[in-house]
Amino acid sequence: MSNIHLKTAFGYMRRAPFQAAAAVFVLSLTFFVATLVSILAYSSSQLLSYFESRPQVIAFLKDGTSDTQVGDLQHKLAANSIIKDIKYVSKEEALSIYKKATSDNPLLGQLVSPSIFPASLEFSVTDLSFAQNIIDEVKGESIVDSVGFTAAVGGESNLNDVVSRLKTITTYVRLGGIMFTGVLTLASFVVLLITITMRMATRREEIEILNLIGATKSFIRSPIMLEAIIYAAVGVFVGWILAFIAVLYSAPTLVSYFGEIPILPRDTPGILSVFGIILGAELLGGMILAVSGSLLAISRVRKTR
Amino acid sequence: MSHEKKSVIRFDKVTKKFGSLKALDEVSFQIEDGEFVFITGPSGAGKTTMLKLILGEISPGSGEVVVDGINVKNLTEKELPYFRQKIGIVFQDFKVLPERTVSENVEVALAVTGILESEWLERVKHVLKLVGLSRQAELFPSQLSGGELQRVSLARALSVNPKFILADEPTGNLDWETSDAIMQLFEKINKEGKTIIMATHNLEIIKKYKKREIHIVDGRLAPDGDKINK
Repeated sequence: MSNIHLKTAFGYMRRAPFQAAAAVFVLSLTFFVATLVSILAYSSSQLLSYFESRPQVIAFLKDGTSDTQVGDLQHKLAANSIIKDIKYVSKEEALSIYKKATSDNPLLGQLVSPSIFPASLEFSVTDLSFAQNIIDEVKGESIVDSVGFTAAVGGESNLNDVVSRLKTITTYVRLGGIMFTGVLTLASFVVLLITITMRMATRREEIEILNLIGATKSFIRSPIMLEAIIYAAVGVFVGWILAFIAVLYSAPTLVSYFGEIPILPRDTPGILSVFGIILGAELLGGMILAVSGSLLAISRVRKTR
Repeated sequence: MSHEKKSVIRFDKVTKKFGSLKALDEVSFQIEDGEFVFITGPSGAGKTTMLKLILGEISPGSGEVVVDGINVKNLTEKELPYFRQKIGIVFQDFKVLPERTVSENVEVALAVTGILESEWLERVKHVLKLVGLSRQAELFPSQLSGGELQRVSLARALSVNPKFILADEPTGNLDWETSDAIMQLFEKINKEGKTIIMATHNLEIIKKYKKREIHIVDGRLAPDGDKINK
């Protein structure tokens, strides 16, 4: 049964190749943009969570602080539910971090000794709005010399500003992407609607004959819906593949630009799973678009008969 | 030995109006299983209306149309296609699907009735041989003559092994020789046990093939309107 419907659906496409091409083109464009927007959303959330999960507060400890005192402060901080990811950095570790950071100029590393680097406690806060209170609290500790934020980015005064600025940008990017994809989805829906309505109109005589020889509604609808589903499936695959190629092509540049920030998965299974999820979601969306579009077109044509 | 024939179609005081026009007025008759019946009358007499009522395309204003024990008026929209699948229809204007080959036209009817695809080839071969179109199986309707198109229509109707065949002026668009050939086919099918109800106003055919005639004039059964020609 399905063979005859598939054959019929392909027959319709062959008879009106430009209609078919227009539908596939618009759907491909929609799903190309949708894939890119999804990747953008993924990367921006990765970027945000990277900055959010960085040690945001560093409490530099006074020289001569004993391990017991450090342990006590560490326990005290750990008891606070707002504070997370507490890490103790000794003088030696601080030196090693410094050396690593200045590895392109080994002379800088040789000129310093561990004694000039203070030991520190680094930690993050679950919400940056609590940061100031925590800092004030930690400053009051006797073993704490000073408290600072990690390096400011983009001229911002502190990480709080960076994160909030990133949040704003990401929100706008996501909103813009969703709106653009929404407009394209609407255009795809209208193109599908027009294509199917025209198909129904040109098939009116055939539908009439099929009705007379006892075809059920589902028999008459099946090839029309199959046609819409084929358009959507081809549109999803073409759009997705083009976006996949575009992302793979630009990945080396993006990865090197963002350095250690994992805006895209670095391994093949990781990137394939991200794209796989996007493909699955788009196929589902495409099917919903095709089925709802064709059902609406069919119901509209039936009403006007 | 006597054997009672079952009534396949029964019209019981059927009236059908289109606006103020009475297309059928209290028409009553019944057709038995295996009969070959001509429904005759001038154009506009109500012949096609009768066939449409049998098919459930339209409903009677009053009276009953009972087909194979089913009151057509009571059929729901969902039941109607399954009811129609039991009827083979042949039209004056053939109504073949223009973008499908002869064999595909028959296959569509088989698909509509849900016959398994594995049976299609054999059935298509059989009916095309029966109507003499075996060699034209892969041709498109545009490549066929009127007579051949009517044979396609008949093959499609026969392929689903219907309980009976409704033919609406099947020779209306054909010359005498072709009409005669088509009529011989109908007769052959009737002899094999199929009930045939044919609307026609072709007097030559009525005279040559002496069958029961239900004659309609202005929507009414003529005074001697239900007779068996001998």
